[in-house]
Amino acid sequence: MEESPLHQFELHPWVPMSIGGVDISINKAVVFMWVVIAVASVCMVMAGSSRKLVPGKLQSLAEMMVEFIRNMILETMGKDGMRFFPLVATLFVFILFSNYIGLIPGTYTVTSQIIVTAAFSFLVYGISLAVGFLLHGVKFLGILIPPGTPGWLVPLMIPIEIISQIARPISLAVRLFANMTAGHVMLAVLFGLTVGGGVLIGWLPFVFTVAIYGLEFGIAFIQAYIFTILTCVYLGDAFHLHGHEEHAH
Amino acid sequence: MPAPQDPLYAGLGQAVRIGTELLAALIVGGGLGWAIDTYLFGTIPWGLVIGLVFGLAAGMRSAYRSVQRWQSPPTDVDKQG
Repeated sequence: MEESPLHQFELHPWVPMSIGGVDISINKAVVFMWVVIAVASVCMVMAGSSRKLVPGKLQSLAEMMVEFIRNMILETMGKDGMRFFPLVATLFVFILFSNYIGLIPGTYTVTSQIIVTAAFSFLVYGISLAVGFLLHGVKFLGILIPPGTPGWLVPLMIPIEIISQIARPISLAVRLFANMTAGHVMLAVLFGLTVGGGVLIGWLPFVFTVAIYGLEFGIAFIQAYIFTILTCVYLGDAFHLHGHEEHAH
Repeated sequence: MPAPQDPLYAGLGQAVRIGTELLAALIVGGGLGWAIDTYLFGTIPWGLVIGLVFGLAAGMRSAYRSVQRWQSPPTDVDKQG
């Protein structure tokens, strides 16, 4: 009688399409990606159009967001990092809006598809590698040997660092995907219990549904924040190449 | 929206980060070891075991690094600017 709590993540092609055997059908996730882009663009353009000295509600929210992203970049990369502001801000706004739009009942959470989060994380990691090799050339491979490593440890550190480098984009993608998916599964299960439980006992899971929904509001923000700050950290590592460690000690 | 320096978000962010970092490094290490076993030398299970150990070390290393970054005051980033 009940549908699976995973049913909400299923995608069926709405407009089947393919180019040269590659399936590019339009489905719910694609449509909601467009919705996210549209909503985010409209909000930001509206917020930026008035440019009052004393900002209105929307404008001050947007200003807070820009300030927030700016602080993140300054903290992790320093002033030079501001050239990555467009990339970082786009990622943050897209992830934040898709997390929040996904919380509206009946919509789809784009970030609950691992292919979406993996595309972002590998893009970010690819850019950080490109930046590193462009700026430092072959010396960038020195990222595999942390400064202050004793000589005899080097052959041991290199495989360890290679693994931790490969793990970076994977952990970035899996973290966002798993958190969004788990939250929505939990909500679906609890709400299923509410519906199945009837009036007598159904209120109990309903209370939990409301509580978890509130928690998910925080998670939606925290996950967007973590994805973006790690983007900054990875870009900063490539940018400065041991700069942090040298300055920190 | 809270400032990124907000201790609540910084703390929650760290907590959420470290778990996945440990796990991802372990999976990558084990996976690489297994792949070396299966496709290169046929030495199952030694590559897998060594890969898991390296993966664990890598996970610890990145967890350690993120905690280290967390502790260092933001002022030494400003000096670079």
